[in-house]
Amino acid sequence: METTGLVVLLVALALTGLAAWWLRTRSGAVRRPAEEEADVTGSRDTEVLRSLGVRPEDADLTVVQFATAFCAPCRATKARLAQLQTTRPGLAAVHVDAESQLEAVRALDVRRTPTLFYLDRSGRVLGRSSGAPRPDELTAIVDAHAPAVRTS
Amino acid sequence: MVDVRGPRFGAWVTTVVLVVVLLTGNGWLLAAQAVVFAVGGLAGLRYAPYGLLFRVLVAPRLGPVSEREAEAPPRFAQLVGLFFALVGAVGYLAGAPVLGAVAAGLALVAALLNAAVGFCLGCELYLLARRVRPVRAA
Repeated sequence: METTGLVVLLVALALTGLAAWWLRTRSGAVRRPAEEEADVTGSRDTEVLRSLGVRPEDADLTVVQFATAFCAPCRATKARLAQLQTTRPGLAAVHVDAESQLEAVRALDVRRTPTLFYLDRSGRVLGRSSGAPRPDELTAIVDAHAPAVRTS
Repeated sequence: MVDVRGPRFGAWVTTVVLVVVLLTGNGWLLAAQAVVFAVGGLAGLRYAPYGLLFRVLVAPRLGPVSEREAEAPPRFAQLVGLFFALVGAVGYLAGAPVLGAVAAGLALVAALLNAAVGFCLGCELYLLARRVRPVRAA
């Protein structure tokens, strides 16, 4: 029995547990900008997103997703957004290949994929989230800004 | 496209192998795991040894395929695993067991996260690595 190996094993198990807890509770949560910094950083972020071809004035809510080819949850998020779009015409989804837009990735401080930005029609950044978004939270923010259309 | 349960099963086998590596300090076993990573990452998942094991022994006992995923993310993860397994194997076999154990431990965290929660650590860190590289080169 290797003492070093045993210690490393226990540390690795503890780290994994901690990471799993963090993924369950924190990852993917929508962070809203604080009031005082919202105007400055928000408008700067909006300009960067506009330079990628994002046009927030075309929809009630525009969700911008940064993705890479090696990102499995990005595909799931893209599918979920497409599904939400079928009943919510005010919702627009833009998918950015992060690898080919590294300038913007650095300017926006995107570290993980998927990272999502939520913009209202005026171009204001309502919030951002890193990691696969929680389905209920994603639906809630979409419904708050681009509600489903009732056909009755 | 691959059955999502294949890479998950492979991650569990990898986890067990890495735990045995840490408990025995066997550099050759870690080297063998490096070969497994290399086959899956470089030749493709259809040749991955644990994937073959899954298709021959496990999949026939499970229900039909319910969900498929793209091959690129799990294949990239194999290359990340290869890097850590190589560093660890060299560490153990060159007389630096602490380096070997730490590298094996990091690989274990990634494998167990993948197996238990389906989270691909290497895939998440990919963008971070891409982000810093050109800046350093400049």
